[in-house]
Amino acid sequence: MTHPDDFVIETHGLSKFFGDVHALRSVDLRVPRHSIFGFLGPNGAGKTTLMKVLLGLSRPTSGSGTIFGHDILHESVSIRERIGYLSQQPRFVEYMTARENLLFAANFFFGGPRPKVQERCEEMLELVGLRDKADRPIRNFSGGEKQRLGIALAQVNYPDLLILDEPASALDPLGRQEVLEVMGRLQKHTTIFYSTHILDDVQRVSNMVAILNRGELVASGPIEQILNGRDGVVYTVAVKGSTQGFGERFAELPWVTHTSVKSNNGTSIWQIGVSDEAKAETALLRFMLEDREVTITEFSRKRYELEEVFMEIVKGEGNGSQS
Amino acid sequence: MAANLELQRVDEWSGMRGFGNLFRKENRAWWGTRRWWVNVLVWAVILCGLTANMLFVPTIASLADEGEIARAGGLTPYVLQMGLSVFFEFGLSALAIGAVVLSQDLILGEKQNGTAEWLLSKPVTRSAYILAKAAANGLALLVLLVSLPSILAYGMFSVRLGAPYPWQPFLSAIGIMALHTVFYLTLTLAMGTIFNNRNVVLALGLGSALGGNLLGGFLKPLLPVTPWILNKTASLTASARAVPFEMGTAPLLATAFWCVALVIVALVKFERTEF
Repeated sequence: MTHPDDFVIETHGLSKFFGDVHALRSVDLRVPRHSIFGFLGPNGAGKTTLMKVLLGLSRPTSGSGTIFGHDILHESVSIRERIGYLSQQPRFVEYMTARENLLFAANFFFGGPRPKVQERCEEMLELVGLRDKADRPIRNFSGGEKQRLGIALAQVNYPDLLILDEPASALDPLGRQEVLEVMGRLQKHTTIFYSTHILDDVQRVSNMVAILNRGELVASGPIEQILNGRDGVVYTVAVKGSTQGFGERFAELPWVTHTSVKSNNGTSIWQIGVSDEAKAETALLRFMLEDREVTITEFSRKRYELEEVFMEIVKGEGNGSQS
Repeated sequence: MAANLELQRVDEWSGMRGFGNLFRKENRAWWGTRRWWVNVLVWAVILCGLTANMLFVPTIASLADEGEIARAGGLTPYVLQMGLSVFFEFGLSALAIGAVVLSQDLILGEKQNGTAEWLLSKPVTRSAYILAKAAANGLALLVLLVSLPSILAYGMFSVRLGAPYPWQPFLSAIGIMALHTVFYLTLTLAMGTIFNNRNVVLALGLGSALGGNLLGGFLKPLLPVTPWILNKTASLTASARAVPFEMGTAPLLATAFWCVALVIVALVKFERTEF
């Protein structure tokens, strides 16, 4: 049984309309504590809108939400006390250096003692690898450096939740790698809720995923579950020899949900969907090997790439262009 | 978190959460950059330069006819009157333009470039955001644009008079100048919360500063309820001359009212702004 405290973010029927444009449609979202939650969706799906509603930067048209159990509408300041946020294009106070910006951000949360606040800023500079550039003007920073500084600013208050809007999307591969590494390092301290449309990044660092399309939450859960696709757990078995009657025999197994077969150069490729993964792991291969007429040349659990699942879901739902 | 234990959390009234830090940031934008001395230099040169021209360049006085000088009570009172007229009548308009130009980007710019969104993602109330801007920028405008040139001007008037210029009327006129400048600051801040177009904000502010007096000339009932006649009020006050109610108390009270009303408009509008 899950305890309500297990979820950092919970929304119920959260909707946001801009005139006729439905940016969010009754979103029910749950973000577990200490997860790296990848929030996926095509451009204009409503990811940024949802983040802004959670942060109190925009008001929902209907529905409700809580963060740390606090209402997002009426207790926004208390929520932001415990949050770090990085917008899609991080902004800084331009006339301040990186160190000064960090000190400025830290002063929203900490009243002192000053050496301790400064020490915290130094830790953040170290974390994102910007110590040697801390006193340089921000205008000379590269995109990756600005993004890393943005993460440092978002993390300076020891947030219990980091909300990152497309933290790596505008970066080159090296910059992306740097940002993902920083996120990995932060995971032990905080819950990370980040949006992206770079599926490869999600698969590398996330343990939870939600997919938003046209303002609607179309999938949400542990990444393993999402990678199983909509068909659940599926095993792929390559069989040489006659497989006549296999279909009927599988139908006798209560934990087999569906089967399909394709022939390829004398080999039958079976896709077997199961409802009981543990049972299938121990019994499926044995069951097939009972037939002495066939040779099993391949037996594996079908692994989807996130891109496949994403494309299947988004195309299935119809891609939107709303913001 | 253990590392967090020694740090003290900010202790601030929740309704104004973030005010202190934002106020320091706004002050830093003035006093921590070259902006402060550039403005001191510019406004001292503009206001005091023209006034000094009136007070100390003999050819200016020689252009006046004898009748005018006699009516003023002599050459020195005449020159002082001209100087006060330049410093306060021209000065109020110049400072109004300065206040509009210097504050046009305070909210609008941060709304457009995303800084406001970033700041409001911190534990900051929107009221604190607006009031910190109004307070810090009001302070800077009053010190740099109003007070310092006024001190310099007071010195010049005293030198021309050959004795300390009566401080009470002069100080009262400076008060009117300050109120007038604050009005244009609050007007620009409020417009910055309402509009997303810099040209509109500038046009409304500058339109009032430059065209208000003209409009008041056509629609006289507007003068007692707007700051448009305060240029003359300040000049008359500084000369220790009597100021009728509709030129003095009425527009002063109205302007003070508008300042408060504009801050409230800014607070309400910004509270409803979506980012």
